Amino acid sequence: MSDTTTSDVDLVGDETTLNIARAALLAALTGAFAIVGSIPIPFSPVPFTLQVLGVFLAGLLLGPVWGAASMLLYLVAGAVGAPVFAGGSAGIGVLAGQTGGYLFSYPVAAAAAGYLAHGGSELTDLRVVPPIRPLAGMTAAIVIIYALGTAQFAFVNDVGLVEALTLASLPFIPGDVFKMFIALVLIRSGSLNEHVLPK
Amino acid sequence: MTLAYRPGDSVGHRLDPRSKFAVQVSFVVAAFVYTTPWGLVWLTALTGVLMAAADTSPVVTVRELRYLVPFLVGAPVLQGLTLGTPWFVVADAVPPALASYRILLVLFVSAAYVRTTPVRASRAAIQRTVPGRFGRFLGVGVALVFRFLPLLQRDLARIRDAQRARLGGQRSVRDRARLLAVAGFNRAFRRADRLALALQARCFAWNPTLPPLRLGRRDLPALALAVGLSAAALYGAV
Repeated sequence: MSDTTTSDVDLVGDETTLNIARAALLAALTGAFAIVGSIPIPFSPVPFTLQVLGVFLAGLLLGPVWGAASMLLYLVAGAVGAPVFAGGSAGIGVLAGQTGGYLFSYPVAAAAAGYLAHGGSELTDLRVVPPIRPLAGMTAAIVIIYALGTAQFAFVNDVGLVEALTLASLPFIPGDVFKMFIALVLIRSGSLNEHVLPK
Repeated sequence: MTLAYRPGDSVGHRLDPRSKFAVQVSFVVAAFVYTTPWGLVWLTALTGVLMAAADTSPVVTVRELRYLVPFLVGAPVLQGLTLGTPWFVVADAVPPALASYRILLVLFVSAAYVRTTPVRASRAAIQRTVPGRFGRFLGVGVALVFRFLPLLQRDLARIRDAQRARLGGQRSVRDRARLLAVAGFNRAFRRADRLALALQARCFAWNPTLPPLRLGRRDLPALALAVGLSAAALYGAV
């Protein structure tokens, strides 16, 4: 009894292959930052993690389309069990839980950061564009992350928006502004851009 | 890192990933509709049954979710606090406390899925559920994330070790974060380039062969449970 079928091999194009590899690796790196990238800060219960930096750089380096695709992979991988969410957690319970709104916002935030920084879906050399563009993109990303994150936190925990903002957003904002500047330094210095720009 | 698939032969391990996913989703919906003391008692009992069927220990799961504790406890405490006497209003703190407990139950159920479902099966389920190239992109991408996560974690740990060995730990948080990020991204991009080349060399295709998935008779109880939970949630919401 044979159970075989035949079909033509439908090869993936070179450009797309590279983009899929980059999107997957940036998603994995964002997940790796969630655990290993945390740097304890004295006198603060909230460790400093570099996850949001992954969101910024996915948008800035891969552009709005592949940046959003990368963050979508991050979410789906976490939903089916990769330990990529804060502290190495996973599962749709995290997405449906109190901090899930921040996670859901990542693809949108990455797309916004990439779109504003590059002025469209075509990739440009971020070393030469005025720094105000990537800054505007990342600011939009932060606003999106906190808007969706606070809304879900308030809804899921059944607390008021003010309480949600106090507990789950305000303590993190200075750190995220700081990460914005790290991201800006990274793309201006050019040590990363050479990986993604056409030679 | 510890919340991951463990091979086994529990009831949960033998189910199709799609029926387990259906149970999870319907459980979340039901938990949101029945966030009452009695509703949560029933859902706690159900969570116990599901975790037993998946051979997942609640103690181990709690240990893995400990980082969430400040938030779970913080929400009711903060909502109960008020400016002026009596300083703490118990009635205000009850709904957030129920909500926090509900979150814990949902996390337990999803831990049971993660413990009993191998990645290959999840990938196949994604590719069969989401149609077309988009589904294949998700399937391939998720598998790659699983493959590269430990490597990138090791990369980052190695970078931090190297930093510490050179007294980098004494630099400011800003410097440490910047150096970790630059080195981390550089290594990730270099790995991506090599991976893309390797994929092309191996005829990376949109239509590879996947492990077979079969929804069988043993999935019936799980699917019935999912339908029951959804119906109960619908009834409670209307």
